[in-house]
Amino acid sequence: MDAIAELSAERGYEATKIGDIVSRAGVARKTLYDNFEGKEDVFLAAFDSAVDEVVGRIEERCDEAGEEWEERLQAGLAALLAYVAEQPAMARMCMVEAMSATPAATRHYEEAVQRFVAMTRASVPHYEQLPETIEETLVGGVAWIVHQNLRRGEAEKAEGLLGELSEFVLAPYRAVAAAR
Amino acid sequence: MERLPRGRHGLPRQFVIQNQRERLLAALAECLYKRGYESTTVAAIGKCAAVSKSDFYKHFESKEDCFLAAYEDSVARVRREVLAACDRRQRWESRVLGALEALLDLFAAEPALARLLLVEGLRAGRGVYDRYQDALQSFVPYLRDGAPTPADGAPPPPETDEAVVGGVAALLARRALADELEQLPNFLPQIGEFVLTPYLGAAEARRIISDR
Repeated sequence: MDAIAELSAERGYEATKIGDIVSRAGVARKTLYDNFEGKEDVFLAAFDSAVDEVVGRIEERCDEAGEEWEERLQAGLAALLAYVAEQPAMARMCMVEAMSATPAATRHYEEAVQRFVAMTRASVPHYEQLPETIEETLVGGVAWIVHQNLRRGEAEKAEGLLGELSEFVLAPYRAVAAAR
Repeated sequence: MERLPRGRHGLPRQFVIQNQRERLLAALAECLYKRGYESTTVAAIGKCAAVSKSDFYKHFESKEDCFLAAYEDSVARVRREVLAACDRRQRWESRVLGALEALLDLFAAEPALARLLLVEGLRAGRGVYDRYQDALQSFVPYLRDGAPTPADGAPPPPETDEAVVGGVAALLARRALADELEQLPNFLPQIGEFVLTPYLGAAEARRIISDR
């Protein structure tokens, strides 16, 4: 799974062949087929396990941050950015390549977005003054900023985005709270 | 797009070629919408456009080449319509909302175009996918141009423009994927508020949207 992340980050999903994956991973072709149906299956398994890992890390950091929602949200964002800095190939595979890989990858990507939207919604205050789609657009905005960071090959600087991204996500809620 | 009459029609050669090319590009979007990228073969595009396979290869080297051309054309079309909606207006917020309205109306009226640009088309290889990413980024300077800062606060951080564009694109792509594009115009108030808020403050953004 790490091999497919590295390869698709380097050359794209389509140009990544089974032969490249097995030689990068140092396993026999048969071993791959014992565990996976084929290239797409490896890709989707890697994608799903990376999303589970990120969601797990976010939840952990949020819980450490305590009760206050702004702190929790910032901790969650920090966990996401730390993952990107630590695992740039996997992050790039999930956030950049998945959108253009296969129909199933697009579906998995969409399901992951839904999870992040639901997580955000569950942790912010609910104000009827804000648009119903606010969390969807905020998550999409954060994803695009990280996407651009990965595309520029600047994953090591991802954590430097924390201040601006926190500001972007918190601003609509703070504005409503301030007006009350 | 109408196909030309068969046989001797006396139409200029250049016109015939241009018409064929336009039919092929329109057929590509249509095929893609109906059957998805993987089943959109050269044969299927040709059949839908009523253009023979050998004529297809007079216009394009490959399926990927045709996709890239269709993608370029579609991006140019969206840009034209969106910028035309901005040009007629003076104030920044009217320009932004006018642009958004034009975009939502266009995608609602032409779901095949939206799916080509936002979902299915992205699978047509690195060239097209790069084009998508560049096209999205190319809207950022238009948003930034003339953007005010909130009366009661500091200017939004520099990444805000990109995040706003990316947030809108994500919402549009999700509606395209869920086949709910015809509802897009209903989202104008919500998307508009999301876009205006960082620059004008939440209260002012709401006021402008509800006055509209």
